[in-house]
Amino acid sequence: MKGALKLISILSGLVLWHLVATRVVNDSSLLVSPLVVIAKGYEMMFVTAELYPHLVASSWIFLYGMLIAALVGVPLGFLMALSPVTRDYVNPWMTALYTTPRIAFAPVLLLWLGIDIASKIAIVFLGCVFPILINSFYGMRVVSREFVEVGRSFRLSGVALFVKILLPASVPFILAGLRLAVGRGLTGVAIAEWFGATEGLGYLIFFAGQTFNIPILFVGVAVFALLGIFGFQVLKIIENLATPWRKEFETK
Amino acid sequence: MAVPVLELRNLTKEIPAAGQEPFVIFKNISLTVNEGEFVSIVGPSGCGKTTMLRVINGLLTPSSGQIFIDGKEQKGTDGDLVMGFVFQGASLLPWRTSLKNVLLGLEGKKPPQEAGQIARSHLNLVGLSGFENHYPHQLSGGMQQRVNLARALAVDPRILLMDEPFAALDAQTRTFMQLELLRIWSQAKKTVIFITHMISEAILLSDRVVVFSRRPGRIRSEFAVPLARPRDIDIKSDHRFVELENVVWKQIEEEVKASRESSLI
Ligand SMILES: Nc1ncnc2c1ncn2[C@@H]1O[C@H](COP(=O)(O)OP(=O)(O)OP(=O)(O)O)[C@@H](O)[C@H]1O
Ligand SMILES: [Mg+2]
Repeated sequence: MKGALKLISILSGLVLWHLVATRVVNDSSLLVSPLVVIAKGYEMMFVTAELYPHLVASSWIFLYGMLIAALVGVPLGFLMALSPVTRDYVNPWMTALYTTPRIAFAPVLLLWLGIDIASKIAIVFLGCVFPILINSFYGMRVVSREFVEVGRSFRLSGVALFVKILLPASVPFILAGLRLAVGRGLTGVAIAEWFGATEGLGYLIFFAGQTFNIPILFVGVAVFALLGIFGFQVLKIIENLATPWRKEFETK
Repeated sequence: MAVPVLELRNLTKEIPAAGQEPFVIFKNISLTVNEGEFVSIVGPSGCGKTTMLRVINGLLTPSSGQIFIDGKEQKGTDGDLVMGFVFQGASLLPWRTSLKNVLLGLEGKKPPQEAGQIARSHLNLVGLSGFENHYPHQLSGGMQQRVNLARALAVDPRILLMDEPFAALDAQTRTFMQLELLRIWSQAKKTVIFITHMISEAILLSDRVVVFSRRPGRIRSEFAVPLARPRDIDIKSDHRFVELENVVWKQIEEEVKASRESSLI
């Protein structure tokens, strides 16, 4: 039932897009039908295989950026939640960095780290790390006093309290942070590849835009969208594994 | 001969307030609870019952006074695990199954196999065999409180502290759980401090009912319950039950009225 609704929603969206492209706009230098995009995508995937290097390049940047962001953001968020000194120390920097548009950092990072993968990963990292950090911090801060008292009433040690109470209670928040990070990370990929890149989906879109190649441009955008969906699906699997108690709660 | 298990000496808890008189939650509570005794505490809402239980458990430090268990003074949460706490609200960990919740106080203290056995036998004691792998949200309110009770009992505490464990249950389930608690208590043979708002619940379950005054909470009076055990639901119509209920009710009514008047001034 839910699946059917999803399918109808997707199909009707595509049909609408097709109608707007062929009946309303009717100018293939501005908008093309999804059929054209799918055909072009198919060709680039399976016939010429020219999409692969871009896809692979972008995927690696995205993966590394996310991974490092999680490895930094989660522990730092926890540390900030548990230690007021760390919190006061990190907070002003975090606020400043979080609110500055990331695109402003791109040229600097490029200058520092070169046009190789490192600067691109850094841009993605900057996008992903804050939602992960803030959610981990928040998750650990709001663990209900009751749960902590349960742990203390059973005389759990500090480590046990962390592992058995604080950590599991924060997992849903961390996962929410990761979900936010997917979107911001992909934005980071696009930004990173607009500056001095020679491959990647961002580069592909940029290049196609410059040369008015609308079908390729849309293929790039669509693959970005698919990457996002893929990221969400992976997170959903992780979520079901990590919090089986919530999965059952939701399907009820 | 009666052996004291828990002894409170002049226990006081106040919260310092800058530039003001401290906020006194309860004052000069002295109470002795004997081995195997079931003591209920009743009193107006906000008189400091939960706070006192948290102080006894070591979750809060008293402002003054002492707590002894088996003659040994308790300090904070450093000592051995000698108390089981059944909390007022829903306090089962939602990410743990019933069995794992009961295991919480046993993990690391007993070998896994023995811990598992103890946890299972306590789930059995509270009538939840077969629900080991259910998560809290899959259990009814009454079942959740059973798991709570099993979790507190599983660590084999010297004293069981219960803070209005049945307050969130419907009347029918509550009566049933009271009778269940009588049964479980007669098997587990624990010393219990039980907080409740329901006077009939206190009388039905207890050997002794302690009435607290309005805040700052003090012990206003104590009543030994003159009813033989084992008890069942019929005992509620016993004239001694009804008389005691009336006496306690009058005292609490006085306290509630007095606190209303003082807050009107
Ligand atoms: N940390 C605190 N700071 C300030 N006031 C507090 C604190 N803890 C409790 N109090 C106050 O102490 C009083 C007693 O609270 P407590 O929860 O112990 O009452 P209670 O007798 O358990 O009430 P109830 O029967 O409604 O559960 C209340 O007025 C409450 O607002
Ligand atoms: Mg209370």
